[in-house]
Amino acid sequence: MRKRMAFAAVSLVAFMTAASPVLAQKAGGTLRISHRENPPSASIHEEATISVVQTFMAVFNNLVVFDPKEKTNSPDHIVSDLADSWAWDASKTKLTFKLHPGVKWHDGQPFTAKDVKCTFDAVDGADTKQEMMRKSPRSIWYQNVKDITTNGDNEVTFELKRPQISFLSMLASGYAPIYACHANGREMRTKPIGTGPFKVTEFKRNEVIKLVKNPDYFKKDRPYLDAIEWKIVPNRATRMLGFQSGQFDMTFDSDVSFPMLKDVKAQKPDAVCEARPSGVNSNILINRDAAPFNNADIRRAMVDTIDAKAFSEILSQGHNLDGAAMLPPPYGVWGMPKEMLASLPGHAADIEKSRAEGRKIMEKLGYSAAKPLKIKIATRNIAIYRDPAVILIDQLKQVYIEGDLEPIDSSVWYNKIAKKDYQLGMNLTGVAVDDPDVNFYENYYSKSERNYTGYNNPEVDKLIDQQSAETDFDKRKKLVWEIEKKLAEDVARPVIGWNVDNTCWDPKVKGVNLQVNSIYNGWRFEDFWLDK
Amino acid sequence: MAIIDHDAALARAGANVTGRWSQVLFTARRYPLGAVGAVIVAIFVLTAVFADVIAPTDPTATNAKFSLAHPGSLFWLGADFMGRDMYSRIVHGARISLAVGAGAMGLGGVIGITVGLASGYLGGWFDLILQRLLDIMQALPLLVMAIVMAAALGPSLRNTIIAIAIPLVPTVARVVRSSTLSLREQPFVEAARAVGMGELRIAVRHVLPNTLAPLIVLATAQIGSAILVEASLSFLGLGIPEPHPSWGRMLSESAAEYVRTAPWLVIFPGVAISLTVFGTNLLGDALRDILDPRQRS
Amino acid sequence: MGAYLIRRLLLMALTLFGMSVLIFVMLRLVPGDIADILTNASGISDAAEKAKIAHELGIDQPILVQYGKWIGGLSRGDLGYAYVSEQPALDEILPRIPISGKLAGMALFFAVMLGVPLGVISAVRQNSKLDYFLRVISLSGLSLPAFWLGLLVLMASVQWFGTIPIYDSSPHGFWDDVAMLGLPAIVVGFRSSALIMRLTRSSMLEVLRQDYIRTARSKGASMFAVNFKHALRNALLPVVTVIGIEAAFLVGGLIVTETVFNIPGVARFLVEAILWRDYPIVQNLVMLIAFVVVTINFLVDMAYMALDPRIKFSD
Repeated sequence: MRKRMAFAAVSLVAFMTAASPVLAQKAGGTLRISHRENPPSASIHEEATISVVQTFMAVFNNLVVFDPKEKTNSPDHIVSDLADSWAWDASKTKLTFKLHPGVKWHDGQPFTAKDVKCTFDAVDGADTKQEMMRKSPRSIWYQNVKDITTNGDNEVTFELKRPQISFLSMLASGYAPIYACHANGREMRTKPIGTGPFKVTEFKRNEVIKLVKNPDYFKKDRPYLDAIEWKIVPNRATRMLGFQSGQFDMTFDSDVSFPMLKDVKAQKPDAVCEARPSGVNSNILINRDAAPFNNADIRRAMVDTIDAKAFSEILSQGHNLDGAAMLPPPYGVWGMPKEMLASLPGHAADIEKSRAEGRKIMEKLGYSAAKPLKIKIATRNIAIYRDPAVILIDQLKQVYIEGDLEPIDSSVWYNKIAKKDYQLGMNLTGVAVDDPDVNFYENYYSKSERNYTGYNNPEVDKLIDQQSAETDFDKRKKLVWEIEKKLAEDVARPVIGWNVDNTCWDPKVKGVNLQVNSIYNGWRFEDFWLDK
Repeated sequence: MAIIDHDAALARAGANVTGRWSQVLFTARRYPLGAVGAVIVAIFVLTAVFADVIAPTDPTATNAKFSLAHPGSLFWLGADFMGRDMYSRIVHGARISLAVGAGAMGLGGVIGITVGLASGYLGGWFDLILQRLLDIMQALPLLVMAIVMAAALGPSLRNTIIAIAIPLVPTVARVVRSSTLSLREQPFVEAARAVGMGELRIAVRHVLPNTLAPLIVLATAQIGSAILVEASLSFLGLGIPEPHPSWGRMLSESAAEYVRTAPWLVIFPGVAISLTVFGTNLLGDALRDILDPRQRS
Repeated sequence: MGAYLIRRLLLMALTLFGMSVLIFVMLRLVPGDIADILTNASGISDAAEKAKIAHELGIDQPILVQYGKWIGGLSRGDLGYAYVSEQPALDEILPRIPISGKLAGMALFFAVMLGVPLGVISAVRQNSKLDYFLRVISLSGLSLPAFWLGLLVLMASVQWFGTIPIYDSSPHGFWDDVAMLGLPAIVVGFRSSALIMRLTRSSMLEVLRQDYIRTARSKGASMFAVNFKHALRNALLPVVTVIGIEAAFLVGGLIVTETVFNIPGVARFLVEAILWRDYPIVQNLVMLIAFVVVTINFLVDMAYMALDPRIKFSD
């Protein structure tokens, strides 16, 4: 009898402990976060920066999302959002979603399958009237979509031209929210409506963005928070001071660099800080169509001098990741292993040897310390671009290349790059989803708008298409590594490192789960709560 | 406009001053603050000119090992977060500040003198229109004009000088114009005309030298303003780009972020700017006392 | 007097007109426009999309047409639509004006309260150690970069108060304003206080030297009465002038201080609008600043004339 009592008692305690995380969430409170810059607009589909996604993802829902409880975004951890279930057909070219019934837009109108079609037609550029979006930087994600059809109010089917497993991952990204058919572009850019857990009440430029709880949210008991308040503070020192003095509960994503981390923790010892890769890599744009980098030898010499470790040590006290085109393991799902990386140009273990070789190449071409090759290095005129550019200039001196920095105003940066009006450019690329289709099609496919260097290698293009259609995961991974290798050997767009930065928050903020292979996909805020 | 004849004054006072050096010392003792200013400015100029000798370390060399190093025997004034030597950067920064200050003042001065001389001398419609143009340019604060110009031209040393020089033109032109107006009627100008001298020659050889006194005073004051505006522009990200060491840019974002772990990043460049401008202001004040007693403070 | 006034007002109008043309042209000389910025912000440089945005915003029309539209709108009180926020420019600018206005007002108040008494003391005790000390202090006020002072004040505030003033625009009372804007106002006003101190000192000195002061003293008036009743009243003239000069200079100080302290005022907004090529905002703000400066100069000149009837005006 006593044993049974004890067993019951223990099970009761066990049950309560297991259940207590669920019981412990407290509803209410306003989460105050510092925002690092004014978002160019509130329309996620029209923009390509974390400033917009992190702020406004909470206003929307996707069809599916990467499981917010998992640390890694991966194709086998995709869960429902607006779609209750989904299935591929036998040919793997038709993807049908069954949508959750009874969902309402923030203005009260009902959500139907037509809204899905409207959204992706607009993104694809098929919406000729273009009232919903003025621009679509990710239209290339959907180039494989043949047609979108609806069947009643709760079923929608995407028809692809060929199998593409990654398609589901793209729909799970923070960059794939569902817009309403009856929304117009101006509204979506200033005070958007969605189906999500929060509604926008205020978007005062350069001041504050206020979101409040959506009482009619279709997921029961969510969100926990009453409101989220984003205060826009362009000056990083002021942002940090605000966090340390308790005026903000959380810093902007990846806002705390390693050199600053010590200061933050010294002033606010109870701060919870987590470091993880931001899915952003620094890379060098090379203009192969003009002197001097139309010469493959000079390109090689330039790559030989790059000491990725030095970049990492200065910018992040050694925490940045050394990788090729894809985010490296263990954080990234697809990146090539370390052993393969060491054999690629630009990632050599012995930097002195590699630099000596680079110098030999330059000497053969007639350059020396007294007679260096003078070039200009263009970069965007903001600190996160300028800092690696300064380090690059210093390193290039080791192979007799004298670089002068040319800071370009952000407003004309991409224009200048598109016109090939540069010799070398220091660039940062954020990869929205840790997926080879997203990364390769956006940045390296010859026909892509964001293939800034105009790199055109039909062999690589073929490989990219091949891996995209491959349904076997291991076979596909090998193809991805082959592409990474080719890109590095071709010196297409040398990747110097993948950034790792810290995000900090006050211990009263709970439910935070930062994902380690992308910063763009986990900001629904529906699981956050304040323990006050 | 009378210029004090020091030699005569000194002789009358019974002083036994003969050589140049003793004259200088005497002036220095009469205007101690000005002397201090002159010394500061001289140090500034010499630092700028001999930067390579005083600070042989490369101000742009990065080194992760020494990131945020404390001031000590290796780095006299510490190092920034990229491991660059602050002492070297501040010394070489003097060169940039001197280039911008003197360059902007020089360019603005040359244009302003030409405009003011022409305006005051020729008068009539020309003067009227130019006056209105100068009015318009002066309706906007210096920094705002400089920001718009810097945004238009893009960040570089040359463009920063231009961006600061243009807004300085109206002040110089005004001063030169008012001097020209009063000098135009002086007897010696009439005499020169009577002798048959060309107007241009009169303007340049006779009128201009007599406007120099207020101009020198203005110049020293404006150099200080130019240095401050350059610092503000660089602070806002619009001025001198990397890797040139600009004092103003050293104070922008990244310095303020590390202020508690590395306060020297904020203190030293700020002291450098303040001290230099302070010196030019002191010197300017004293020069004004010496050259134009009517404006004596 | 009447003719002078009319001429003056005409000149003001002419200046403002000239300013409108100048800023309109200068802005369009700046490389990159809003269509570039919006497309660049999403990492693409698609000519077709840019052209579409340009057409929607009306920036592909000939420059004279655009100018005419703007001026026409101004006269009706319609400032156009801001490019970035797609709201009426007036709605963007108007709420920010009182914030900067309060900051500038508090700064000037501080400057006068500090500068005038110190200037008087310095003049009365001319060439004493105190005088030299105060002169050095005031000169350093003119030599410090405003943003550096702001940074130092911010850091000190964290060190001593453990917090920084963060501006909150929700409705609040007068004393909340003082708490939030007090520190930035001191930073902005420091330079003005130095200028006011110097000017007060020099004009006090001139007045003190004059005959009628000596006469008053010889008649037995107390030092106090002499200093404050006779000298100060006349010495206040240049202070009025300084307020006029400072009106323009203050904007520069406001720009950097609002940036450092993150205050959503009009001056910081101007810089952001320039960087974003938000022409409607920049044009209207510049006209506003020019209008304020020109008006203050006019009022100062009128005050000058009223305070000292000996001064005649010729142009």
